[in-house]
Amino acid sequence: MINPNPKLSKRSFLTLAAPMLLTVALSPDAHAQAATTVRLGFFPNLTHAPALVGLERGTFQKAFGAVKLDPKEFVSGTTLTEAFAAGQIDIAYVGPGPAINAAGRGMPVQFIAGASEAGAVLVARKDSAIKSYKDLSGKNVAVPSLGNTQDISLRHILNENALKSKTDGGTVTITPIAPADVLAAFAAKRVDATLVPEPWGAVLEAQGHRIIGNEKTVWREGKYPTTIVIVNTKFAQANPQLVAAFLKAHTDAVAFLNKSPAAAQAAVNAQLFKLTGAKIDPRVMQRAFARTRFTTALDLEALKDYSALNVEAGYARTAPDLSQFLKK
Amino acid sequence: MTTRPAEAARFTSDQPSRWRVLSWQILGLILILGVWWLVTDVLKLYPAYVFPSPSAVWKEIEYGLWGSGPQDGKLLSAVGGSLRRVLTGYAIAVLLGGLVGLLMGAWLPLRTTLGAYLTGVQSVPSIAFVPFAILFLGLNERAVLFVVILEGFIPVALAVSGALLNVPPALRVAGRTLGARGLGLTLRVLLPASLPNILTGLRTAWSFAWRALVGGELLIAGVASLGEQLEVGRNTANVGLVLGTIIIIGIIGGLFDTVLRAIESRVRRDYGLEVQS
Repeated sequence: MINPNPKLSKRSFLTLAAPMLLTVALSPDAHAQAATTVRLGFFPNLTHAPALVGLERGTFQKAFGAVKLDPKEFVSGTTLTEAFAAGQIDIAYVGPGPAINAAGRGMPVQFIAGASEAGAVLVARKDSAIKSYKDLSGKNVAVPSLGNTQDISLRHILNENALKSKTDGGTVTITPIAPADVLAAFAAKRVDATLVPEPWGAVLEAQGHRIIGNEKTVWREGKYPTTIVIVNTKFAQANPQLVAAFLKAHTDAVAFLNKSPAAAQAAVNAQLFKLTGAKIDPRVMQRAFARTRFTTALDLEALKDYSALNVEAGYARTAPDLSQFLKK
Repeated sequence: MTTRPAEAARFTSDQPSRWRVLSWQILGLILILGVWWLVTDVLKLYPAYVFPSPSAVWKEIEYGLWGSGPQDGKLLSAVGGSLRRVLTGYAIAVLLGGLVGLLMGAWLPLRTTLGAYLTGVQSVPSIAFVPFAILFLGLNERAVLFVVILEGFIPVALAVSGALLNVPPALRVAGRTLGARGLGLTLRVLLPASLPNILTGLRTAWSFAWRALVGGELLIAGVASLGEQLEVGRNTANVGLVLGTIIIIGIIGGLFDTVLRAIESRVRRDYGLEVQS
């Protein structure tokens, strides 16, 4: 049972020394001086269209001037939050779920603007028997990742229909799959339904799959934030002019999306093709656009409701006081 | 064992007693916890969302054991699910590996082909097989089981065939002289003689299987598992849950390893391969 190794003491010394060395090596690097690069996190989804448009048209880079823009794409908010916690992201487009989680865990995060509302649909595979939310029992449903905005929405839908996820002792399997990969997962019949952000819902619909919950029936009659803009508080304190410049560029991008939808759709499509390699039919993109609203406004009440859903899903034990994270 | 007092005294001075080693180990544990506490709670070198304190991790474990929230109280079922999966996979791996190892030990062509390939396959990290397994078996626990069996099977097969070949020639000759032939020689002479080496292989197979399990569980969904706990912790920025799960994975892996090691050293002692108790 006991390892009679005389070298043991030396080894346990090493075991002790290792974390200390690690401590020195990994000391967090705070944004002490003005930044020379802005690291922008976003996802290749239509719900992040302001980011896609800003990147495609060079709006962000123009706003930053000599400061370099370093765009980083993520699959879902949960991986983005991880990078945010590690201090790898300065400004990010992210869903309210992960943003609220980050705030609740005490990360230096500030919510500075809204980006999009609604724009998520529940799609069932065409050869499945799913016609309504209740039919999800016993089925495998994909979400972008566990704990992300769509996952929280899905758990709420299940809750309202007296269903539960399998890991909570229920019947519905919830599988995390990157939205762009859901097409392949549907084709291979690995999942039966999915709650995805646009344009992937519209793309699936164009392939003949059934929308069983549209952007309005998913939650709150469609009046819910899907993407918001967050900033690292330390970064914001050290670089207020960069944050202001970004906000202006973001507002421009949202205005462009609302004023010239056709041009905006082309820009989004071009950027999505660069990022995911998926070429989306303009008519499909148009349908996806119709289900998504772009706004810079932040709806505190909706965020609070989301926070409550987060608690309901068990991803947080208490809802943080969100007003302190909003931009003052 | 009968030893003269002087000899026994010298013997114990070289070999620290059980209790002494245990006290060192406990002391080491307290020191590690102390440094952890110092770095997190006292010096606050890291924000809590990067490196939580021991008490925060303990709180997560507590919630996992008897919390009542929607995601709480799942620790035991996660441990149970993971253990069931790994034990099933391990049992199959040991049976299959033992059989293939026997065949490889007995038949040279198989040894030079399959044996060599298995050594190559073993160098592939188990997690690399998971996407492939998912394609064949789907996003479910069968994919995980496949990887666990694969990872456990190889060390067992290689250990069994290697051990059979390393049986001292004298035993083989003696067996033959006493009339053992073919399968009888293998089963009644060679296999018992190679038991200590096979047990070492079984222990390696356990640690491979355990690691493969957790890696695989991270990639699938919908089953209660330690991998899922890790994933939920990661996705909800709950580092306390992540660290707590890592610690539990380490403890379980270590406990099983200790049990297997105890059996192994017991056998080695009985075979006269180790001097001390």
